[in-house]
Amino acid sequence: MLTVISKRLTQLVPTLFFVSVLIFGLQHLLPGDPALVMAGEERDPVVIEQIRRQYRLDQPIPVQYLHWVRGVLSGDLGESMRLKEPVLDLVRQKLPVTLQLAVMSMIVALVLGVTLGILSAVYRGRTLDHLVNVVGLAGISTPNFWLGIMMILFFAVELGWLPASGYVSPFEDWRQSLATTIMPAFVLGNSIAGVIMRHTRSAMIQALDSDYVRTARAKGLSEGSVVLKHAMRNALTPVITLGALEFGTLLSGAVLTEQIFSIPGFGKLIVDAVFNRDYAVVQGVVLVTATTYIALNLLADIGYILVNPRLRA
Amino acid sequence: MTDAPADVVLEVEDLAVTFEGPDGRRTRAVDGVGFSVHRGRTLGIVGESGCGKSVTSLAVMGLLPKAGARVSGRVVFDGQDLLAASERTMRDLRGDRLAMIFQEPMTSLNPSYTVGDQIMEVLLRHRSMSRAAARERAIEMLRRVRIPTPEQRFDDYPHRLSGGMRQRVMIAMALACDPGLLIADEPTTALDVTIQAQILELMRGLREETGAAIVLITHDLGVVAEVCDEVVVMYAGQVVERASVGDLFAFPQHPYTVGLLGALPRFDERRDRLSAIEGAVPDMSAPPSGCRFAARCPFRIDRCAELPPLAPVAPGRLSRCWRAPLEALAA
Repeated sequence: MLTVISKRLTQLVPTLFFVSVLIFGLQHLLPGDPALVMAGEERDPVVIEQIRRQYRLDQPIPVQYLHWVRGVLSGDLGESMRLKEPVLDLVRQKLPVTLQLAVMSMIVALVLGVTLGILSAVYRGRTLDHLVNVVGLAGISTPNFWLGIMMILFFAVELGWLPASGYVSPFEDWRQSLATTIMPAFVLGNSIAGVIMRHTRSAMIQALDSDYVRTARAKGLSEGSVVLKHAMRNALTPVITLGALEFGTLLSGAVLTEQIFSIPGFGKLIVDAVFNRDYAVVQGVVLVTATTYIALNLLADIGYILVNPRLRA
Repeated sequence: MTDAPADVVLEVEDLAVTFEGPDGRRTRAVDGVGFSVHRGRTLGIVGESGCGKSVTSLAVMGLLPKAGARVSGRVVFDGQDLLAASERTMRDLRGDRLAMIFQEPMTSLNPSYTVGDQIMEVLLRHRSMSRAAARERAIEMLRRVRIPTPEQRFDDYPHRLSGGMRQRVMIAMALACDPGLLIADEPTTALDVTIQAQILELMRGLREETGAAIVLITHDLGVVAEVCDEVVVMYAGQVVERASVGDLFAFPQHPYTVGLLGALPRFDERRDRLSAIEGAVPDMSAPPSGCRFAARCPFRIDRCAELPPLAPVAPGRLSRCWRAPLEALAA
């Protein structure tokens, strides 16, 4: 177990190096000059020159990169050109919001996906299975922005049960926080639930056809115990990996949903930063997202080992 | 059948199983099968793959899929007709009075739980005992199936055990609640020959200790000769011959049995090639109306176009052949 973890941690170094080169390099290919954006309408050459010097934009890209990496290694992600705030502070503010949303979405996705997946595997080929598959497919194929807008129209505008947009931290008022995040969490969780449902279904069908499930039945165990204990334990292994990957995607991919519900998370931060050529923020956010993504994969591997004794040796 | 009726543990009469495919095509996998098993005795069910022997055993256990399998006839176990019993009653019997072990020891144990847990599970399900008592009993069962250092093996996951060891665990699990009947479906087929002999020896020993009746399903006549008291030979879903093991090997009374025995390689005879039964098993979705073995039978006569009954040919033995007794033909 420890060897696996240390091996994966060693892999982290080159992976992060490539990620950092990639984000740094790619973003300089973006058209547009941040100094021009910053200088505003007047475009005073003196001001532009000063901004360039201040943010080292006048230096060659490799030099800029080295400077940035040196900062990152000492815990300094640079400063937002637009907001005049350290990127680390921005990340600290926005990450918990995105994290909360991601966790809630994941709960929605897992509860819906695993439950429906198991049901459709148990009732394979029957009406319930077809019904669940249609629902699952609908979940995958419904665009998030459309579902989000429809939910706002129905639950906020029509019924007035939930606030249409905005965000409240759970540390201020957890009820209000739940009310503001439940719709976006459902929208995000819904599409992932469809994918998880399909994977759970096929893994469960395989497990239910296995010899050890036949053995469990031959022991006189109840169907509940056969399905939920013997088959599920083995079927959930691939679902764990999938869940971790989807969770990582949630951290960076909630851009559209965060926009629709005006949730001040990572998605909104990065979109604003890209539009404003706020390099330091883009780099910082992508780096944090990538690191979290890799860390989640590591956690998934550990979870994998925990449920699968064959890997423990 | 010299035993008193009270000794009969399992009586199967006129068992038929029909599978209905999704396209509505029906396959009669088991057709009018009957046999009885006595306390402390072993009945062998022999036949080639697809003859319906495994389906017969799954029907007895009530383990055939509910959708798609139609079962009829009578399966009387301890005076109770299992085919008429509710699913709940069957669940209470399975693992307790009725136990089964399977052909594939490598995949029949759940890879995610320790072998100890899996044995304890059956005890906790059927016996009101504490976890500690169940653990003790599970370790005792591991010891009884001759697994060395059972206290340590208890916490092992199946992947740490060899095929032979896993089959021992399966046997320990099956016998944990002292069943009246153990069905063993090809229990040694997947194992090395030396391990096979050990497992058979173990089963024989445990049968003597527990007095359980055993139904041993196999295609291996060597295994039959080793452990069975009585034999049922199945062909294409039907019983073609029923006899005590000694009689069967000495004087087979059905051409198919003769063929099976002829297909056994022997040391005391030199042959240029192994003999085999010519032809293939009939298509079970459209079985021939006459004798099902006729197409492959060297002793075929015109009358074989008509299905022969399973009729007595000598005391205690039955054969489904118009030409039985076969002594004159075999010579």
